[in-house]
Amino acid sequence: MDWTWFHKWGSPKWFYELSGKWLPWLVGAMVTCLLIGVTWALLFVPQDYQQGLTNRIFYVHVPVASISLAFFPLMAMAGTIFLVWRMKLADVVVKVAAPLGAWFTALALASGSIWGVDTWGTWWVWDGRLTSLLLQFFLLLGVVSLRTALEDSEGAARACALLSIVGCINVVVIKYSVDWWNTLHQASTNFTLATDQANGPEIWVPLIFMIVAVYLFFAISLILSTRNEILQREKRAQWVMDLVAKS
Amino acid sequence: MSAARSTLAGAVVATLRRDLLIAYKRKNDLFNPFMFFVLVATLFPIGISPEPEALGEISAGVLWISALLASLLAMDNLFRADFEDGSLELLMLSPHPLYFLVLAKNIAHWLVSGLPIVLVSPLIAYMLNFPEGAYSTLVLTLLLGTPVLSLLGSIGVALTVGLGSRGLILAVITLPMSVPVLIAGTLTVSQTLEGASLSGYLAIMGAMLVAALTLAPLASAAALRISVN
Repeated sequence: MDWTWFHKWGSPKWFYELSGKWLPWLVGAMVTCLLIGVTWALLFVPQDYQQGLTNRIFYVHVPVASISLAFFPLMAMAGTIFLVWRMKLADVVVKVAAPLGAWFTALALASGSIWGVDTWGTWWVWDGRLTSLLLQFFLLLGVVSLRTALEDSEGAARACALLSIVGCINVVVIKYSVDWWNTLHQASTNFTLATDQANGPEIWVPLIFMIVAVYLFFAISLILSTRNEILQREKRAQWVMDLVAKS
Repeated sequence: MSAARSTLAGAVVATLRRDLLIAYKRKNDLFNPFMFFVLVATLFPIGISPEPEALGEISAGVLWISALLASLLAMDNLFRADFEDGSLELLMLSPHPLYFLVLAKNIAHWLVSGLPIVLVSPLIAYMLNFPEGAYSTLVLTLLLGTPVLSLLGSIGVALTVGLGSRGLILAVITLPMSVPVLIAGTLTVSQTLEGASLSGYLAIMGAMLVAALTLAPLASAAALRISVN
């Protein structure tokens, strides 16, 4: 098998040029999906018969919450690639994904709180899902602070890759244990989203647009911060100097 | 080096004996986690309420959180002194798999810092008006749970051993990871009080211990190789 496609990923310069070509398309697709999704969700989706207008935050909360669950698997994957093949780009992804993941998790928690204050009557409950997301937030901050504390970049990179892998396993254990704890203690409160199963496509089609938009937004943020980090790390390389001289 | 020590079992026993001996010579390390556990548990009645009923309700959680914090505090001793005097490097240079040597260090560390806490817990539980009929469960869960806390903590310690000033980073890394153990421990106790059968809960805690015993030293060993260059 020809492995050149794989080895290309080892070159930050190659990725920088390639992602530069992707970005306009990704941004275009995101803006389109976001415009369609937001307009549809905010103006045309019928109101929920119980929650009224508040239910519309669903279209922000669900995509953000679902993407925030993807960060630890992403970081663990990139971390494994870095530890096995010493691919610098993978470490850049581990590094920039941690604060980004913390932001997305915070956004999921905040949007959930705003939704919760109207529907549950409180900003916070120690529900299984909320608690596990909060703990994931702390774990991500732990990865960020480990990176800051270890100044040596090679050691910090490997340590953070390892912590991402350990954290990824741990997030799963936390998720199940917290659900277990919650279902035993709070079985009376029913926070299921299953009611919209009964609803037709006018509810979930705009959601799909929003999910695609948020995923694209995630991809764009990840690529932008990766490019930024590449430029910083390669600032002494000739191609970066040429790039700066041109601009 | 004698022939007996060049085998893997010999190396594990030697590491174990060395760490226990060091702990015995440095009695501070022996008593500090224990003292810390008792002190933290004492703060709760003062801070929350001295009412026996209120205390009885939270006592399981208080004991578990105190044990968690004491184990976290004690973690610092696991690799630090060995790192500073260079014996950690020698340990890593040994021909035996680091996994087993780290495991031996973990066991020694738990015997010194975890076991005393487990042993004193019924006394503190009594002082906190812990509900009768769950004492044995409490001790059993602590017996199964505190080694998991030590094993998880050792990953964090191994990752940060090279740092000059660690500050709170060890806590930030370790505490979220300890949550499943805390949940399992306190749930098992509260379920015993409600009359549920214990075996399932203890089996889950046992499973956590087995998983931690198999996986955590692996991660700690890898982390040590990263931290010690």
